[in-house]
Amino acid sequence: MFEHEEDVVQRVVQQLRRPVAIDPALDARVMQAIAKPEPPARSIWPWLAAAAVLVSLIIWRPWSRSAEAESATFQFVLVAPQATSVSLVGDFNDWDPKRSPMRTANGIWATVVQLAPGRYRYAYLVNGAEWRADPGAPTVPPPDDEFGKPSSVVTVGGKGS
Amino acid sequence: MMLALLLVAAQVGTDPRLDRLDPDTRAQVATVMDSASRVGLPTEPLIQRALEGATKAAPGARIVAAVRRLSADLGVARTALGTEASVPELEAGVAALRAGAKPQVLANLRSVRRHPLTMALSVLADLVANGVPLDSAAAAVLALAPKARDADLVEFRRAVERDIALGAPPGAATSVRVNVGATDVFAGLHNPGAPPPPPRRP
Amino acid sequence: MQSMGIERVESSDAELVCRVRAGDIGAYGALVSRYRDRLGRYARHMLGDREDAEEALQDSFVRAYRSLARCDDPARFGAWLYGILVNRCRTTGARAARRRRMFVRDADALQGAARADQSERLEWTDAVDRALARLAPEYREAFLLKHVEDLEYEAIAELTGAGVSALKMRVKRAREQLQRYLREAEHV
Repeated sequence: MFEHEEDVVQRVVQQLRRPVAIDPALDARVMQAIAKPEPPARSIWPWLAAAAVLVSLIIWRPWSRSAEAESATFQFVLVAPQATSVSLVGDFNDWDPKRSPMRTANGIWATVVQLAPGRYRYAYLVNGAEWRADPGAPTVPPPDDEFGKPSSVVTVGGKGS
Repeated sequence: MMLALLLVAAQVGTDPRLDRLDPDTRAQVATVMDSASRVGLPTEPLIQRALEGATKAAPGARIVAAVRRLSADLGVARTALGTEASVPELEAGVAALRAGAKPQVLANLRSVRRHPLTMALSVLADLVANGVPLDSAAAAVLALAPKARDADLVEFRRAVERDIALGAPPGAATSVRVNVGATDVFAGLHNPGAPPPPPRRP
Repeated sequence: MQSMGIERVESSDAELVCRVRAGDIGAYGALVSRYRDRLGRYARHMLGDREDAEEALQDSFVRAYRSLARCDDPARFGAWLYGILVNRCRTTGARAARRRRMFVRDADALQGAARADQSERLEWTDAVDRALARLAPEYREAFLLKHVEDLEYEAIAELTGAGVSALKMRVKRAREQLQRYLREAEHV
């Protein structure tokens, strides 16, 4: 004997309303993606952005420094609601916790760094003592992890290749 | 012995960033760096590895061993990739070697890929770290390397990782994705007006 | 005022949108974490594939950020974001279906042996997914928005651009077809 249509739909809806698994690293990918291009448009911002680019070109003279010219801005994000401080440390900042302190909004810690193409090891230092790998990036495997504390790897590719 | 090490360190001019190491460790690291620079190997990766150890409060002996091992592996990578290899390529080459790739795999990649090899070598290392058998990972990267852009290689790695997370056996996920990835690479070549792919993590 | 237990103090969507517009990128992270699960569920059921759903979700969040200046009513950020995702799921449906067929076939071949061990609950879940996948996209879209996301017909009309009477018909057809497909699979 078949169920009444209403009961079937209710069972289907009940099933479909269950939470689905979403990649925990998705938030970090979104934050990293939005850190790269221009901020949300406002009427004056395009002019400010153009001025900033002009000033940058004058100061950095990228035509004479090819590595910097290829570098791009990356935002690193860690969700750590209980943390009181988080620092990003890695091959790009001499593993110095003071160089890239992260700012928080509602437990989402973020900071921005410039990276030229290359392969970098990095980690998050939480509350000045706890080491965490980035859940959204490849982890340094055990044979390559000489210091017994987790690290992640980010590889930045070339723009033209 | 100690005096000799200190003398060597003074001679090459120790990088001030290494002041975070204790004097004995600093001197031994400086010796390794000096040997590396004498044979034309880059020293910046060695400094970073030493600083990583210092920040992670590793014992001095472990820091020295890590720097020494990295220096040796950079040498092997350079032999395989050639003297023209860039520092990022050498570092990625070390990661691939440590993942188990033979130097010949690095040399083969060099011969088939016109673009810088950093991303291809990195993806190879990351796939193996994710449980993909070395042979499958190497075959996949070698197959994609001639035509894939760096962004394609990143996309390939992420797709394989997701398939593995969803339960696919790592080797099979890799071979399936190589076929899909190759198709997409060609599709991109024939359809320059196609919309750009969504933004990705590096 | 003193409170006990766990107190959640959250900013409104409008406050967060204003902070993002003022340059506080971290505030957008709060919006992402607020909407990811619900929107992810819609994308997952609409596209039938976790990978495609996450791609659509990520892309929608990024598109929304880049066009945040065009969000006229920040208090209704959620509805506006839904609209972006609904469109994104529509435009990628065909491409995603092609890739899905390709991979599902391979995954089935790889994991076929494990299917015999599935429990009754997993069979029901699977049957619902398959029945949903057989619906025409516009039926599936209307059914999910009405019954799973619990939106009013007027709100769905705003999101999809379809008229209310057409939507009611789509939902009705979707309900009928779901029951028929599940009956065919002998799960009711």
